[in-house]
Amino acid sequence: MPSARRAARRPLGLAAFAWVAIALYLAFLIYPVLQSLLMSFTDRNPLRANSNFVGLENYRELVVDERLRTTLVFTITVVVVVTLVANAFGLGFALLLNRQSLNYRIMRTLVFIPQVLSGVIVAFIWRSILTENGLLNAALQQMGLVTEPITWLGSTQMATISLCAVVSWITIAFATVVYSAALRSVPPSLYEAATVDGAGPLRRFRHVTFPMIAPGTTITVVLCLITTFKLYDVIAVLTGGGPANSTQSTAYYLIQVAFTNNLFGYSSAIAMLLLVLTAGMAYVITHLLRKREGRL
Amino acid sequence: MRTRRIHVGAAWLITAAYILPIYVALVSTFKSQDQILANPAAPPAPFTFDNLANALARPDRLVQGGLVNSILVTTLTVALLVPLASAASLYISQRTPRVKGALLAFFALGLMVPPQVVLLPIVNLLQTVGLDRTYPGLILSNVGGGYLSFAIFVYVGFLRTVPAEIIEAARVDGASDLRIWWQVIMPVIRPATATVSIFLGLWVWNDFLNPLFILGPLQGQTITTGVYLSVGTYSTDYGQLFGIMFLAAIIPVIGYLISQREFIHGLMSGAAK
Amino acid sequence: MKLLRRKITAAVAVAAALTLTACSTSEPTPAGSTELSFLTFETPALTAKFWDDSITDALKTVPNVKIKKITAPTTDRNAYAKQLQATGQLPDILASINPKDFIDANLLTAFEQDWLKANFLLPEANNIKGKTYIPPTNSQILPMVFYNKDIFAKNNLTVPKNWAEFMSVVTKLKAAGVTPIELAGAEPWSASMPLVGLVSANVLGKNKNWIQDRYAGKTKFTDADMAAAVQKQRDLIAAGAFASGALGVNYADANKQFLEGKSAMYPMGSWFIGQIKPDQAKSFGTFMLPTDDGSLVVPFNVGGTTAVSSKAPDVAKAVAFAKSWSLSPNNLKVLIETDGAFPMLKNVKLQDFGATVTPVFTDAYALVGQENTKVSSIGWVNNDDALPPGVSDLFYALSQQLFTNGDVAAQLSALDKAWDKAAGK
Repeated sequence: MPSARRAARRPLGLAAFAWVAIALYLAFLIYPVLQSLLMSFTDRNPLRANSNFVGLENYRELVVDERLRTTLVFTITVVVVVTLVANAFGLGFALLLNRQSLNYRIMRTLVFIPQVLSGVIVAFIWRSILTENGLLNAALQQMGLVTEPITWLGSTQMATISLCAVVSWITIAFATVVYSAALRSVPPSLYEAATVDGAGPLRRFRHVTFPMIAPGTTITVVLCLITTFKLYDVIAVLTGGGPANSTQSTAYYLIQVAFTNNLFGYSSAIAMLLLVLTAGMAYVITHLLRKREGRL
Repeated sequence: MRTRRIHVGAAWLITAAYILPIYVALVSTFKSQDQILANPAAPPAPFTFDNLANALARPDRLVQGGLVNSILVTTLTVALLVPLASAASLYISQRTPRVKGALLAFFALGLMVPPQVVLLPIVNLLQTVGLDRTYPGLILSNVGGGYLSFAIFVYVGFLRTVPAEIIEAARVDGASDLRIWWQVIMPVIRPATATVSIFLGLWVWNDFLNPLFILGPLQGQTITTGVYLSVGTYSTDYGQLFGIMFLAAIIPVIGYLISQREFIHGLMSGAAK
Repeated sequence: MKLLRRKITAAVAVAAALTLTACSTSEPTPAGSTELSFLTFETPALTAKFWDDSITDALKTVPNVKIKKITAPTTDRNAYAKQLQATGQLPDILASINPKDFIDANLLTAFEQDWLKANFLLPEANNIKGKTYIPPTNSQILPMVFYNKDIFAKNNLTVPKNWAEFMSVVTKLKAAGVTPIELAGAEPWSASMPLVGLVSANVLGKNKNWIQDRYAGKTKFTDADMAAAVQKQRDLIAAGAFASGALGVNYADANKQFLEGKSAMYPMGSWFIGQIKPDQAKSFGTFMLPTDDGSLVVPFNVGGTTAVSSKAPDVAKAVAFAKSWSLSPNNLKVLIETDGAFPMLKNVKLQDFGATVTPVFTDAYALVGQENTKVSSIGWVNNDDALPPGVSDLFYALSQQLFTNGDVAAQLSALDKAWDKAAGK
């Protein structure tokens, strides 16, 4: 089939795939971002007959909206707590399990499972554990440790702590596996050399292990940031954003404003804020950590 | 010898404490409601399959329908993304450094945009083209969104390690670009394909937001949204809950156990980059 | 060549699968039959079985209609209806939504006045600007205070007649180690009950037209009487009237705890009567949340279930189904028994339903028929007194916020601002 072969030889073949990819990406990512930007200058609301251009009105609202401020404080709290906890425990776990026998391989396998399950399922498991009449309180009461059930999700502080704990629990799984992988990439010869130089375990950790796992830190921190910023499913199932709207991430609030309050214009302004925050933070953190990697 | 045994013991203790919630969910699947409440941590004795049977016997066929829908959405998304992203990546990596840089920067945005930011415009777009509330609409928005960016970055990263001579040699032999891509490059970048398929498969399977809003309640659920919508606010029927969740979780967990090595490898390559 | 063929096969397979999914989404309906979607919600009283049975019953007189039931993921079906509308899939028939949120965009169909007049005791009770979007099938007192007679007797307490006595009951119960007031604080709608009672009794009790005056700009949330009423909720919180973890308790758990005697009083809509089993009825009574001077104020709401979307594929059939559902004596009988609904049908008396009710029901139902000060349950009614779109949600949320935020004035001023924005257009 000479004609077919000639047709296929045109370099356009590969370009066609590239263009399809670019077209889809334009349609489902770039265009929506621009559309969001445009909508943020209107008061569009599907429950109203028409929409108007309102200039920067929605952005002024961003500044004075107290609920938005609450969600930002909450989001940043969760981001900081989860990033710290997940990295600390993840690294600790990875060091603990950094041996080669079958036992440790099984343990490493098990530890990653929280990350494999969907947020919805993880949150349902934790919800049945943490609710007022849940499994944890049932167990505690049976053991006689408490007489009254503890309200793990019942006050604004407790719910925030519980939510941080659950998200950390999920993220520890990820951090552990990344650090385990990073630890295994450290050539044993480096340790031997350090030992020959008379370095103790602590110094070996500081001067050999720590610098070598820096890329692991970068990837874990960035991933913690990105996943926590877009946190939705765990919140929806575990607390529904409550009590008293105290456990709403900005992303969760954005969905509420868009789809429950139907304020498309204002929700688009929140979307722009969220986009700038996430992209900005991802950029800064990657930059800083890369620089640190370079120094170490 | 003794310290080693202590170390194993301690490691197991900590690991067990960590995965206790999963253990509880697992054993609860095979216990009656009373057994669950009496002692959540006790092993399932006597053993019961009632929860699983009840989950499968629901008149709305939530589990069966959900699994079929999830398999469909996940497979089609991955099946479309892999050729699209690998070919586009090969194309990108063969451009001049300037064009390549520009294209990568263009696709980098997709890694950073939280899905909530683009959800509403995507829903509006799908309404305009008449694909709202449809599986093709859901699959297309999966293919065109941030997942594509992820796939392209993995592939472009991996293609850096592929020696240019391979392509040159194939060209000299008179192979077309498409043939080079499919017959020469694809086999070489199999690990990247494994990474892309595994991660995207997992993410799409576990995705909550897109199916919840794009698909809506009338088109049947993916298993993830199905679990969410079926377990009422007031349900304290733990047996039923854990039965459904077990069936919903079993496929990704088995998938993970099978592909664990590629999984870790994918993470490694990410960490190394 | 083989590879190319395989590639083509793969492409065809993908295309075929895509078409297949497209097909599987539109279930074939028998010729001449219309499929309509019906948004429902579940509570401990309104179970999946209730909705299924009620649909079957209503369909008996509506031929060639198939109903596809959608269940809202939480009790807040209004939020879910708005979410579905935002994604272009407003259901055709909607159970117990807040019509005011939807009529600006002409999303609902009004019922004919003749039909309403022919069938209901208060045919205009759900009017918004002269039109009714929800048939006024039943009424509710919202909230009433349920109390545990045994606990009251054990602590030598009598039903409080004014606010001072009520506070003293709270203090005594607290001192006796009993949770004075049960609160389902995890969900905004149920958390709102004490606040709805306080505002209805203390503000609307003095000025029945307060909500209309607020629309006209003659009253404000920051007015002294409103601030005083809301402050009472803060006083209750400060006095330890609610359990410390009240904000984590959902509606079902709160019901259970109150019925098990773990708390003494429970402000809730009259639908809670349906949760009191006949053998428990002698232990429970009700009273209206007392005012400062002891005058009786009944926060009243005419309910109803079925609103019809104006975008339904066949509006006439959807209306026919909604009417059939609303007039079905079987449905109302179940609602009377399990949901404490006070029937408002013109042509069917309570005894004609053949429903078994407890004395708690009969006592409360008497208040509906009596001449007394009935005011709109703020944030709950479906008529002109409904709050502007979205403001009810903020009002409900206020009752939760008061647990952690003591700045009453600032929160009320925020509510004023939200109102003006939502009503201003």
